[in-house]
Amino acid sequence: MSNTVCVLPCNGLDKCAGDISRRVALKLTESEGVELICPVLLNQNKTRYDKVLEDGSLSVIDGCNTRCASKLAGSLEIAIKEKVNVSEVAKAQNIKLGVDIRDDEETDALVQVLLEKMSISEEKQADSQFIETETVEYESFSHGKFIFKVPKNNYFFNENDCWVSISGDIARVGVTDYVQQNLSDILYVDPPEIGQEIEQFDELGSIESSKTVFEIISPVSGTVVAVNDKLQDAPELVNESPYEKGWLVELRLSNFEEDKELLLDFEAYFEFLKRKVAETNV
Amino acid sequence: MSESTFMGVERDRIDWSPRIDFSKCNDCMDCVEFCPHQVFEVNENEKPKLKVKNPNNCVVFCRACGKTCGLDAITFPDKPETTKMIKAIRKAEKEAASDE
Ligand code: SF4
Ligand code: SF4
Repeated sequence: MSNTVCVLPCNGLDKCAGDISRRVALKLTESEGVELICPVLLNQNKTRYDKVLEDGSLSVIDGCNTRCASKLAGSLEIAIKEKVNVSEVAKAQNIKLGVDIRDDEETDALVQVLLEKMSISEEKQADSQFIETETVEYESFSHGKFIFKVPKNNYFFNENDCWVSISGDIARVGVTDYVQQNLSDILYVDPPEIGQEIEQFDELGSIESSKTVFEIISPVSGTVVAVNDKLQDAPELVNESPYEKGWLVELRLSNFEEDKELLLDFEAYFEFLKRKVAETNV
Repeated sequence: MSESTFMGVERDRIDWSPRIDFSKCNDCMDCVEFCPHQVFEVNENEKPKLKVKNPNNCVVFCRACGKTCGLDAITFPDKPETTKMIKAIRKAEKEAASDE
């Protein structure tokens, strides 16, 4: 049998979203190889779960955007393999949850959607179509004890510190060394959905460390064709290799010539970053 | 950061910052805690306590604090419109420069 899946729901039991998180978690534990993690006990006594967490992977169900469950996992430095957010899924489904606990058709349907969301993410991975260039050359500068690297060719950047690299009509997107160092240990990568159409500067998922969440702002417009699924097991690749192994998303470009007008090349980003680092580190 | 620019356009010509719907906001201050750019200000003695003090400190196209608001009290300007406007300003400036 494969590894255990540990399910960590939120603890907002008195509210509708929290109650739904509980229902989804209980439903999941009906399957074999799924272990329920009680947030209160985890917080009190993490060792109680050390063993299952070591052999298994963690799935988190946040009730609302306070993201208590994710934050708890983050503060205990447990990597999250998969997660859903009840309120966001409800919003996407056009369901208004409100505060009071409800047990009706609408909430049943929502539980169902959430359950589906949690099991499909395994399957539909399209293969990467990007042809990597042999070696990437970098230039770096230092500020205090930090060293920032920027790749020299075939990469473009936006001022939101995301990069894009092009191969034919396929683009790879990721975050720059600056973001990676700012966030420090990245614990979770939340990818966009395959097939999603993206305009330039739209959100392309997010990455999360115990410190904060960073939204990926797409440097280009296009359709999402692949996501880096290695990151689900090894989000630290974004820290170790932000410009190569830690790439996040692949898109089929729709209008790169126009997108390019609002992007920086190596020289411009290098200068931009130097200024930014000098300004922010007081 | 008074003379900052975004994509070569002066920051104060770009209208991008969080808008707070005070009929929804409950002063939880999650957004303030989240944003590292001193966009917000908290005045304990005023009501509302929360104020978008430095809208131009907000990172253009960032919408992250909107996500932290469990009550959905934060909205942002229209992204495609803003992109269009930035492009238009850049184009106008380029033309003005080549006319000289
Ligand atoms: S996070 Fe939302 S509710 Fe809380 S202070 Fe900010 S705007 Fe108000
Ligand atoms: S959108 Fe981003 S930069 Fe702007 S106020 Fe919110 S968190 Fe800060």
